[in-house]
Amino acid sequence: MSFIEVKNVRKTYRVSKRGSGIPGMIANLFVPRYEKKEAVKDISFSIEKGEMVGFIGPNGAGKSTTIKMLSGILYPDSGEIICSGTVPYRQRKSYVGRIGVVFGQKSQLQWDLPVKDSFELLKAIYSVPDSVYKRNYDRFIEMLDMAGFIEQPVRQLSLGQRMRADIAAALLHSPEIVFFDEPTIGVDVMGKEAIRSFIRELNKEDDVTMIFTTHDMQDIEKTCDRVMIIDDGSKVFDGTLTALRDRYGAERKLDVEFMCDTVTEPISGVETVDTDSRHKSFIFGREIHINDVMAELMQKYSIRDINISEADIESVIRKIYSGEGTA
Amino acid sequence: MSAYLAYGKKTFLGRSAYRFDHLMSILSTLLQFFIFYEIYRTLYGGAQQVDGITLKAVTTNFVLSLGLGSVFSPDDYFLPNRIADGSISTELLRPVSFRGRMIAENAGNALFCLIFKFIPVLTVAMLTTGMSAPAGAWELIMFVISALLGFGVLFSISFTVQMTSFWLINIWSITTIKNVFINVLSGSMIPLWFMPDKIRSAVDLTPFASIYFTPVQIYLGQLSAKDTAVKCMIQLIWTLGIYAVGNILWKKGQRRLAVQGG
Repeated sequence: MSFIEVKNVRKTYRVSKRGSGIPGMIANLFVPRYEKKEAVKDISFSIEKGEMVGFIGPNGAGKSTTIKMLSGILYPDSGEIICSGTVPYRQRKSYVGRIGVVFGQKSQLQWDLPVKDSFELLKAIYSVPDSVYKRNYDRFIEMLDMAGFIEQPVRQLSLGQRMRADIAAALLHSPEIVFFDEPTIGVDVMGKEAIRSFIRELNKEDDVTMIFTTHDMQDIEKTCDRVMIIDDGSKVFDGTLTALRDRYGAERKLDVEFMCDTVTEPISGVETVDTDSRHKSFIFGREIHINDVMAELMQKYSIRDINISEADIESVIRKIYSGEGTA
Repeated sequence: MSAYLAYGKKTFLGRSAYRFDHLMSILSTLLQFFIFYEIYRTLYGGAQQVDGITLKAVTTNFVLSLGLGSVFSPDDYFLPNRIADGSISTELLRPVSFRGRMIAENAGNALFCLIFKFIPVLTVAMLTTGMSAPAGAWELIMFVISALLGFGVLFSISFTVQMTSFWLINIWSITTIKNVFINVLSGSMIPLWFMPDKIRSAVDLTPFASIYFTPVQIYLGQLSAKDTAVKCMIQLIWTLGIYAVGNILWKKGQRRLAVQGG
C-alpha cells in the first residue's frame, strides 16, 4: 500500500444561485435557490513516501478541493483517502500534527508579532521537542536567509520575506507530508529560486512527501518529479514531465543562423519559418529525429550557429487546458 | 497545555504593541465613567439616598461594572472574522482545540486589561470620587470569584453568538443587539436597583444580571452568605448552559464546514 492512497473520491458543493440585479436579489431573499457543482469527479491516485508531486490545472479545476480533502478539512462525498495510515478527515486532530500546509495567499503567521515569536508559538502548538526545533530553526534561517528579518513583526515584511517565513513556519515541526498551495505567488525571481531550492533540499534531506499546486510552471519544472493535471474535476494526466511532453506531442525547434544568405529546400515533416535571409527556424514533432534534421542541414548548408529549444511546458499545458490533443 | 499558554501569552504581548490605542481606551473608559457619575450626582441633587441606595453605592457600581467591562471584552469577531476571510480552514489544520485557543486568547487579553486598564481606572476613580471599600474580606474574595464567573457568562454568550456566523457569515447586527442587551440589562448603564420591580424580576431571569451586577452586590455586602452562594451557582449554570448551546452549534458548524467548504 502506498503512502498516500486516494480512491474514487468525489466532492459536490451546493452553491447558491441567484438571479441578477435587484429582482434576482429579492427573489433570492425569499426563495433561495441552489445548484450542485461537482468540484471533484472520481479522482484516484497514489503517492509514495518522499515523492514531490505538482498539481496543476486551471482555476476552479478542483485542485484546492483535493488538497483540502487530503489535509483533512473537507469530507469527500464518497471514495476513500488514506494518508500515512490515517483517514485525514476522520482522525483530524492526530493527523494535522503530522502535516504542514503553506497557503501562498494567506499567511499563517501572527500579524503583529516578530517572526521569531510566531515560530515559538508554533513550537508550543505542535509540541516540538527543543532539539528538533533548534535544529530546524538554525537550518531554515540559513537556508532561507532569514537572519535579517527574524526579529521584525510580520506586518513589516516584504511579500518575499513573508513567504519564506511562512514556508519555514509550516516545516518547523518536521511534518511527514507538506502541502504547498501556490507557494511562490507574487514573489520575485530571486525569491522564487530561494524557495524552490529550499523545498528541493528539504525533500532530499528529510524525505518529506510534498504536494504542490501552482500556476507557475517553473515551480513544477524545477522541483517536481511528477505532475498531475486536473481539469474540470478529473485527472487528465499523471506522470513525469518528460512523459507529459512526449504524450502531448510537444514540438521542438531548431533556430539556425547561416553563414550567408540561404534559400533552403523543404524537409518533409518539418515546418520552416523564415525570420530573415540568414535566420530560419525548423519546427518538428517527436516523430522526427533531431539528428536527421541536423545532419541534413549541416550537409547542405554552411551554418554559423544552431540552437535547439524544447517546447516549454507552458505551451503543453495550454494545449491541454484548451482541449487540444487530449489523447 | 503549553500551547494554550503560548496563545494566551501571544495575545497579551500582541496587545502591548499598540500603546496609543491602549491609552485612548483607558481614557474612553474613564470618560464614560465620569459622564455617568456626573449624571447621577446631578440626579441625586445632594440627597443622601434614593430608593434606599446611596450615591456612593451607585458610584461603586459604575466603577466596578465599567472597570470589569474593560477587562471583560471578549473578541466578538474571533470566529466571524476567520469565517469571513476563509482562514478558519487553516485554523482547523492546527493540532489544538479551536475553542481552547479562543478561551486562552481571551484570557490573555483579559489579563492584560486587568493589569493595564482595570487597575489604572480603579486608581483614578478611587482618588477622584467617593467609592466604597469592599464590605469585608469574605465579600472581597467572593467578589473576585463572582467576577470570574461573570466573565464566564459574558464569554459564553459571545461564544454562542459567534457560532451563528457559520451560517450567517455577517453577524454584526446580532452582535450589536447582544451588546445593547448587555449594556442595558447588566446594570452597567442603569443600576438595576432603579429598574421598576416588574422589569427587575424579568431581568433576574436572564443571564445579563449575572455578569456585573452580582459581583457588585457582593462587593457592597448587599447579599447574605446564602444568597451569595445561590447567585454564584446561578452564574455557573448560565456559563455552562450557554456554553453547551454554543458547543452544539460549533459541532454542527464544523460539520458544515467540512461538507460545504470554507
